[in-house]
Amino acid sequence: MTYFVFFLGFSFVLGGLGVASNPSPYYGVVGLVVASVTGCGWLLSLGVSFMSLVLFMVYLGGMLVVFVYSVSLAADPFPEAWDDWRVVGYSLGFVVVLVVGVVVGGFVEGWKLGVETVDGGGMFSVRLDFSGVAMFYSCGVGMFLVAGWGLLLTLFVVLEVVRGLSRGAIRAV
Amino acid sequence: MNPHAMLVSTLSLLLGTTITISSNHWVMAWTGLEINTLAIIPFISEPHHPRAIEATVKYFLVQATASPLLLFSSMSNAWATGQWDITQLTHPTSCILLTIAISMKLGLVPFHFWFPEVLQGSSMTTALLLSTALKLPPITILLMTSHSLNPTLLTIMAISSAALGGWMGLNQTQIRKILAFSSISHMGWMVVIIIYNPNLTLLTFYLYTLMTTTVFLTLSTTKTLKLTTMMTSWTKTPMLTATLMMTLLSLAGLPPLTGFLPKWLIIQELTKREMTLTATIMAMLSLLGLFFYLRLAYYSTITLPPNTTNHMKQWHTNKTTSTPVAILTSLATLLLPLSPMILTTL
Repeated sequence: MTYFVFFLGFSFVLGGLGVASNPSPYYGVVGLVVASVTGCGWLLSLGVSFMSLVLFMVYLGGMLVVFVYSVSLAADPFPEAWDDWRVVGYSLGFVVVLVVGVVVGGFVEGWKLGVETVDGGGMFSVRLDFSGVAMFYSCGVGMFLVAGWGLLLTLFVVLEVVRGLSRGAIRAV
Repeated sequence: MNPHAMLVSTLSLLLGTTITISSNHWVMAWTGLEINTLAIIPFISEPHHPRAIEATVKYFLVQATASPLLLFSSMSNAWATGQWDITQLTHPTSCILLTIAISMKLGLVPFHFWFPEVLQGSSMTTALLLSTALKLPPITILLMTSHSLNPTLLTIMAISSAALGGWMGLNQTQIRKILAFSSISHMGWMVVIIIYNPNLTLLTFYLYTLMTTTVFLTLSTTKTLKLTTMMTSWTKTPMLTATLMMTLLSLAGLPPLTGFLPKWLIIQELTKREMTLTATIMAMLSLLGLFFYLRLAYYSTITLPPNTTNHMKQWHTNKTTSTPVAILTSLATLLLPLSPMILTTL
C-alpha cells in the first residue's frame, strides 16, 4: 500500500510535468486527467474521501468537460504532440529540475520528506476530519460566502473581458 | 465600461482589500489577495488594445504565481507548527517563501520586471489603483509578519529596489513608466526599515500614497501621458502644473516638503541601529530618482517648449477644477511642519 500511494504521488508529479511541457491542449489535457485522478487517490490515502470525490466530480466531470467542448470548437490543424522536439526539450528540463529537487531534499532532510506522526511517517499526514466541510456551513459561513463571491467574481470578470464578439478583449486585433 | 461590471469590480476590490488587511488566518489573507487580482483585471483590460491586454496578462500571471507561493509558505508553516496565525510565522522556509511572494506582489527587485509594463498598459486611473490601493494588502501582510523575516534578504532587496528604481527610471519618456520606477524605489525605502520600526513603513506608505495619488490625479486632469505632452500642458491649467512641480519634488524627498519626512525618519532609525552604510547607500541611490523628478518638474513648468515658433497652444479647452486634487496637493506638499504630531500618532 505504501508503494501504491507513493506511485500515486509520483504519477501526480508526472501528470503535472506532462501539462507543463507545453504540448497542444489535446495532449495537455491527458496530463491534467492523470494529475487529477492520482491527486484524488492521494487524498483518499489521507482519509478525506469526500474531498476526493468532490474534486473528481467538479474537476473532471465539470471543468474538464467544459474545456473539452470549448477546445473542440477551436480545433488546431497541426497540434504539437509529445514527440515534437520543443515539447521533449521542456519535459527533459523539468525532469532535471525534479531530480535536483529530490536529491537536494534527500541530502538536506536526510530522506525524511515530511513529518513522522502517530498515523504514519514520511509523506503521510494525520487524517483530516469530514466535519470540516460541515463547519464551512455553520460557523465558517463568512468564509463560505467570501469563497462563493470569489468564484462568482471569476465568472463576472471573464464575461466582462470577453464581452462582445469582436469588441472583446481577446479579439484585440 | 458597463456600470454593473464596474460596480461588481469596484466592490470586489474593496472587499478583497478589507478581507486581507483585517485577516488573522492565512487562508483569508490569500482569499483577499485573489479577489483583488481578479477584480482589477477588467480595469486593466478596459481600453481593449493589445498593450492593455498584454498588461492584464502579465499582471495576472505574476500575481497568480505569487499567490500559490504565499499559500505554500502558510501551508508549510501550518505543517510544521500546527497553526495558521499570520503573526506566528516561525518555520524558516516559510519566512523566505513569504518574503519572495510578497516582493513579487509589491514589485520589489528582483521581481519588479512586470510593474513598469503593466503600469504603461493601463489608463492613468488604473495605474493609480495599481500603485497605491493594490499595494496595501501585501504591505499589511509584510507588516504582520515583519518580526519573522530575514533582515539580510530584506535589506538586499530594498537597496536593489532603490538602485534599480532610480537607474531604470532615468531613460524613460513615458510618465507612467517613470512613476512605476518611482514606486519600486519607494517600496525599497519602505522595506529597508520594516524590521526595525514597522510604523515607519506604514508612514512611508501613507505619505507615498498621498503624494503619488496627487501626481496621478493631476496628470489625469491634464491628460498628459508622456514628457512631450507635458511640456505643452501648462496652458491648460497653469496653477495645477506649478503645484505638480511641488508635488514631484515632494515625491523626490526634498526638505521643506512632505516627502522628506519618511526618508528623514528612516535614515535616523537606520543610524540608530548602526546601519550607517545602508543609510548612506539608500540616500545616494535616491539621488538617481531626484534626476528624473527634477526633469519632470522642469517639463511641467516650462513655458517655452522646444517646438517650432508658431505651434498651437492648447488654451483653456475645459475648466478642469477638482477639489480632491486641491486637497491632496496641499497635503502632499505642506505636511512637514506637522511631523511632531505625525510622530506621536505613529
